[in-house]
Amino acid sequence: MADNEDVGASVSEPLDLVRLSLDEIVFVKLRGDRELKGRLHAYDSHCNLVLGDVEETIYVVEEDENEEEVTRTIKKQEEMLFVRGDSVVLISPQA
Amino acid sequence: MSFFGFNTTLPRDRDRGPSSRGFFENPDPFAEVARASGIEDDDAIDFEDTYDGLGDQLDDDQDEFNDDTFGGGGDTATGGAVGRDFDFFGRTAQVADAIGEEQIRYSLQNPRAAPAAQQEIHAPPQPAAEPTTKRTGYEKYSDPGYIPDLQAKSSVWGNLQKKPEPSPAMMPAMPSMPAPSRKMMSLEEVEAQLRNQGHSFGHMAPQSMPQMHDPSFMRHPQDFPTLPEGFPTNIPPEILRAQLEKGGLPPHMAHPPPGVQELTTSPPQNLPPQGPRHAGPPAQRQQPMPPPPSRGPNGGLPVITNPQQLVHLTEEQRQAYLMEDAKRAKRNHKIFLLSRGNGLMTPQDKNFITRIQLQQLVAAAGNVADSDPEAVLAEDFYYQVYSQIRGAPRQHPHQPLGHFAQTYLLQTGNRIGGHGNRRAFQSADNHMQRMQQQVQRAVEAAKAKPKNKQLIIEGSLGKISFSNAKAPKHMLNIKRPDSSEGVRPKKLQSDLSVGDRKSLLGNIEAVYNALMSMEDMERTMPPPPEEGDTEAIQEHMEWRQKVQSLNQKLWQALKVMEPIVPNSTTPHPFIAFLSYAKGKKAIPRIFRHIDQEQRVTILTMIVVHLDSLDVVRLAQASGPGDAQLPVAVREAIDLFSLAVMPSLLGYVNEAPFNIIIGLLGLVIAQTQVIGVARTKIGLGILTMLLSRAELVKEAGQASERDWQQWVEKFNVLFDMLEPGLAHIFPGSINSGDDMYVWQFLAAVGIGASPEQQQRLVIAVKDRVMETVGYSKTLPADMASQRLGNVNLFMRAIGLDVELLG
Amino acid sequence: MLFFSFFKTLTNQTVTIELKNDIRIRGILKSVDQYLNIKLDDVEVLDLDKYPHLSSVKNMFIRGSVVRYVMLPRSEVDVGLLEDATRREAANQVGKAR
Repeated sequence: MADNEDVGASVSEPLDLVRLSLDEIVFVKLRGDRELKGRLHAYDSHCNLVLGDVEETIYVVEEDENEEEVTRTIKKQEEMLFVRGDSVVLISPQA
Repeated sequence: MSFFGFNTTLPRDRDRGPSSRGFFENPDPFAEVARASGIEDDDAIDFEDTYDGLGDQLDDDQDEFNDDTFGGGGDTATGGAVGRDFDFFGRTAQVADAIGEEQIRYSLQNPRAAPAAQQEIHAPPQPAAEPTTKRTGYEKYSDPGYIPDLQAKSSVWGNLQKKPEPSPAMMPAMPSMPAPSRKMMSLEEVEAQLRNQGHSFGHMAPQSMPQMHDPSFMRHPQDFPTLPEGFPTNIPPEILRAQLEKGGLPPHMAHPPPGVQELTTSPPQNLPPQGPRHAGPPAQRQQPMPPPPSRGPNGGLPVITNPQQLVHLTEEQRQAYLMEDAKRAKRNHKIFLLSRGNGLMTPQDKNFITRIQLQQLVAAAGNVADSDPEAVLAEDFYYQVYSQIRGAPRQHPHQPLGHFAQTYLLQTGNRIGGHGNRRAFQSADNHMQRMQQQVQRAVEAAKAKPKNKQLIIEGSLGKISFSNAKAPKHMLNIKRPDSSEGVRPKKLQSDLSVGDRKSLLGNIEAVYNALMSMEDMERTMPPPPEEGDTEAIQEHMEWRQKVQSLNQKLWQALKVMEPIVPNSTTPHPFIAFLSYAKGKKAIPRIFRHIDQEQRVTILTMIVVHLDSLDVVRLAQASGPGDAQLPVAVREAIDLFSLAVMPSLLGYVNEAPFNIIIGLLGLVIAQTQVIGVARTKIGLGILTMLLSRAELVKEAGQASERDWQQWVEKFNVLFDMLEPGLAHIFPGSINSGDDMYVWQFLAAVGIGASPEQQQRLVIAVKDRVMETVGYSKTLPADMASQRLGNVNLFMRAIGLDVELLG
Repeated sequence: MLFFSFFKTLTNQTVTIELKNDIRIRGILKSVDQYLNIKLDDVEVLDLDKYPHLSSVKNMFIRGSVVRYVMLPRSEVDVGLLEDATRREAANQVGKAR
């Protein structure tokens, strides 16, 4: 903490952008056709995250009776979620 | 040699070729047992199946330095044959210091690998050295400075006895004999055994050792190690040899003479005695004894004390005996496999590794007692502070973390995060209680000077409640005059451009940076300087300067002083700051680090922009009461109540009267009072100001002129409020949370003139009666709570709900 | 070390771990290391019908890299403190990078 001149104000590195979203709602895209929306409480340089009040959306492609591909979505709620960074594809502020 | 066609070389001797794999990778000494007794048990581990062949990969080529390592070469006495009597123990002891250094250095460089490395460092030199040794190892005894390895000598005696001259008749039983001595051999024991195998082969059975044909052993008795001084010589080798020739002793009987045993237990390592070698009492030593009793179920078998007895047994007995033997051998073999690494490390090594492991454990637990607390804090901030807050046992009582815990404990009031955890609700209540107390004090103070108007009000209330049914209806039908103005659409936060939003969030993070730096500074505050201690004074000055510059940084990041642009479409940066949850949460921490002037500036800023605060604007936009408000808005209001209001209240409670007057003037002049009054936060701020003014007045701190000024403002406010008074309650009667409204009404009631009090009663009498009626349907505790809320107001105007029957 | 520090405060709490192969395991978090490997006790596999082979497992060590999510008890997370810890970590990273 000694010498971080306006780290918050100046966005110089990609993760600084994520820092702006601390305690804000973020949208996270994950490997395996998954998405999360929740309040960002923690992150690190590996993109490990802790999200609060999360809604997880999983997209599942299925074939219907006409053998056409339909995308089904599964939604799940979690109150507090640690997300391992290696699954994370992108983190975006949800304005 | 072979009577039954078995290979009669002892298993442990068989693999002793020049390409020996090293002594602790002995081939299975007991495989032969299993075969001989016809019990091929799958459970028994065959050495060849388990041996990983590592020994074969040993690089035996690069032995140019062997002479350097093991002493001068070219000893013709051994004819270049591989000696098996290299004194590992003595050698290792000689280089023990160097090995120790190596270990320490390695473990320092690579602490995580240390435990594994320890073994690696220890183990390889021995197997590598063994096959390449070309020396007898006795040369060193001519060195007068050499302190003989007593243990090695002692085993010379033992193994001399141990070497059996197996008679053909007892061959089937013989292979099992080494078994007992095999279990749990220490390094020393193994070495000793190896060494005197060499001797006994030399003296007793050269023909059984194809690779040991060198007759020089026989011809040169001086090769036999000279006995150290004081070495007991009461058992001459001749006797032992004679005994051996009589039938041989079971190997486990190969105990050294008593004196020797004393010596064997005296090496620095102080290894606990391992294996049966040290176990027997001296009296048994000279007598043939059976192998250690591992014969539980077959206790009925004759005790075989001499291998020759076996010949005289019945076939059945012999079978049973062999079975028994095989079992024991199997067990011993397992022990052998497990004990291969025995004695590789000295107790010191083990202690050393234990210490390293403990240290790692401690480090992993965040328990680095003697490392820099700052470093610990940097790496382990969350755990350290969390443990303190949540009452975990303190890891480091001396660590200067206390104030962090305070910082975040102070925050518990704000630690709601809009997530409705239990603590947050508790502290929300706490805030309401504090407000309640303030209003109560004001009420009590006001009652102390009764205004003598109770009778009139009492009369009017009676009339209202029981006979005049017209008024309430009329009040209800009043068209809200503010419904169009109050909901005047304003720029919403989400309409901000992405760039604005980003810069706002950047500001907030800058505020947090400054805050955390200031909190760190607080921790490093030098002790107050003594008189005349210029250095300390200097230090203190510098510290204060740093704090001051951080304060400026914080203040700039807050953007409180940005000019107010009238009719701007974008909110003031500070108001925008407050519209973010993390902005609200920062307020109590900010208030700890700013001075009174800065606090009043913030309060002024909030009051001026009261109706553009998100918690006010969004609350009134969605209609009266927050029961129907969207969850996000309700959360924002709760958070504002928890985080911002206590800080503001804390300041207001100490603020001089003229500031209170000024602030009320700003509310009147700058905001839509009716709209503000329909929100919890707006009412809260008004309550704050009104009750403070009453307390100042009752305390006699208000000058006449100030008070006049205040009354003027109050009257204006009252007139503005009156039309909307019926609509300041949130939702319907059963929605619960209307405490803050009664607090506000009480605060208005104290300051009101008798005429104003009457108007007040008329405006809210319906709600009073409703609540009284409704509370009768509630459980006792809830009812008394609701009535208590109402009564706060009633008593402010000199009434009591009791009077309403 | 932020998340190591974080998980240390959650030891002896009941958590649910979702692995990258979709298995969800609930158990008591016994320990965690710097790689976020996790030791779980009193394990209970959700959707046991799908993964019957795990029915007899009572405790386990989970390699950190196979974890997708860890579902945590909200009451045991101090989000304000965690956010500040994150800010400190970010500042430290910047400090190290310089």
